[in-house]
Amino acid sequence: MRTPTKLIALLFFVATPAAANRLIEANRSVEIADSALEVTPARDWNRLSARPGRSAETWTLDGDALNDVTFYAGIENDRPIFREVNRRNQPLPRFSSTMLLTDVPTLLENSYRVGRGVSVFAMDRVEPMRFGGQGGVRFHYSFTAGDEVRRRGEAVGAIVRGKLYLIAYEAPAIHYFDASVEDFRRLIASAMLR
Amino acid sequence: MKIPAWCTSAALVAAASSAAAQDFRVPPYQGIYQPQGVDERGLWMEADEAERGLRDSDLVIRDQALNAYLREVLCRTVGEDRCNGVRIYIIRMPAFNASMTANGTMRVFSGLLLRVRNEAELASALAHEFAHFERRHVLTGFQRRRSASDLLMWTAVLSAVAGQPNYAYLPLVGGVFEFSRDQEREADILGLAYLKRSRYRPQCAADVWKRLMDEADASALGRAQRSQRYDRVPFFASHPTQQERAGYLSSLAGAEVADRTVNADTFAVVMRPWIAQFLDDQIRLNDFGGTEYLLAQLAGGTWTAELLHARGELYRSRGNPRDLVHAADFYRQSVALDPSRAEAYRGLGLALMRARVLDEGRAALVRYLSMQPDARDAPMIRALIDQPL
Repeated sequence: MRTPTKLIALLFFVATPAAANRLIEANRSVEIADSALEVTPARDWNRLSARPGRSAETWTLDGDALNDVTFYAGIENDRPIFREVNRRNQPLPRFSSTMLLTDVPTLLENSYRVGRGVSVFAMDRVEPMRFGGQGGVRFHYSFTAGDEVRRRGEAVGAIVRGKLYLIAYEAPAIHYFDASVEDFRRLIASAMLR
Repeated sequence: MKIPAWCTSAALVAAASSAAAQDFRVPPYQGIYQPQGVDERGLWMEADEAERGLRDSDLVIRDQALNAYLREVLCRTVGEDRCNGVRIYIIRMPAFNASMTANGTMRVFSGLLLRVRNEAELASALAHEFAHFERRHVLTGFQRRRSASDLLMWTAVLSAVAGQPNYAYLPLVGGVFEFSRDQEREADILGLAYLKRSRYRPQCAADVWKRLMDEADASALGRAQRSQRYDRVPFFASHPTQQERAGYLSSLAGAEVADRTVNADTFAVVMRPWIAQFLDDQIRLNDFGGTEYLLAQLAGGTWTAELLHARGELYRSRGNPRDLVHAADFYRQSVALDPSRAEAYRGLGLALMRARVLDEGRAALVRYLSMQPDARDAPMIRALIDQPL
């Protein structure tokens, strides 16, 4: 009786490939979440298999608790930027194609407050920036989530043909943010919006 | 698996009338208490550890005046000797909540401070939490959950041996939640006993729950959902329904007594510096109906420049074309009352720009920048003025 059980278990594991994180190699252009957004990283990154939403993906260097870049690529009108956590009682704010660029930082902040339970969030500088050849917005922020780690964030966003493209880099304020922020800036400098 | 609330309410009102005859005797206070036995020592150790974490937490509001005020209200309600056993921490969280741990750590959420209207209502919430501490509810709740899970395991083993489905788990699990509801009722009643001995108006305890039901209705309406039922107890509810609480607190509070105070004015003065931040936290929660209800409650018929500004932010954040028209109007009313309010010019400008009323929008943004040239979003606002589309 024992061998067949083991065999079945083994077959089960072989037949169900575990969703895996993937290496993103340097100097090759990558399309983000099947959207019009394309980047060419200057160094290797890891893409996490767990995606925050249908039109989003997360990259990291040392693990997403230490540094992560999240792409929200091609968010359509009336859609939240990431997956709903509690649609009935705590629905996420939704992107609207009529938003101004100044509404983009607020959309990210409010999504964190509702979906991630962040209650300490401070928006710092908000400035214009070219992003993927389009007029966009860059903003700087800091927040404390449930793990009580102070994180800093820097993000760029643009609204193109009624869709939102947003890339956010976040890392603990101690050491990690400064350590990789230049990698992030190089990454967004390579962004193309087709 | 729903229990009609009238059963429990009727039993409580019956208990209440006998309690009323005893005039809410408060148990004698033990003084400094040390945990007894391994369970209680363990719970205190965990609570001590969590409390040490609060020392460095970004979520704790450390303003001395606000903290001193809450402590003063608690001491006035439960008495000087009792309040020495408790440390209060004000947590920046926009939900209506407060909690008490075994070792006397009381957490009060900023969302609660935004929702109580006077000192007596605040006193009722603090007294309720203190009652959990005095009755050592964390310990008894823990022991109840543990014995239920032990029993659950044994019944699972026995039913597996007997080859029968395990029918025992429903009453066992249900019993844990029912026990939790009983603890809440006990804390409500003892809390009211403190309130009756204090100078505060005890009827205020019920008012809080009535408004919470109205707010939940407003939230549901704003989300095009049906109103919740407030008269039925879901199987997994850890608290009695808000309707039940409002009902028994109101009947236990008894008739109005002269020379009781609610101290609404003192409360308003202490809260004034905090309202803007607490409201901002609330507006960002994407709860249009509930927030609109709260704003109307705060205004009470008199809309200040601050509340009009907040209302403009709420409408602008929902952002339908009709909302932008209303938002612009609220911002205009806000600056009419207080022309020094730069942020309201910002809101007005952005609402108009989004509604494509460009000239007036630009003018309002220029005004904002002239008042706050070094604002953190000044570069982006400047770019918007130069190239709005």
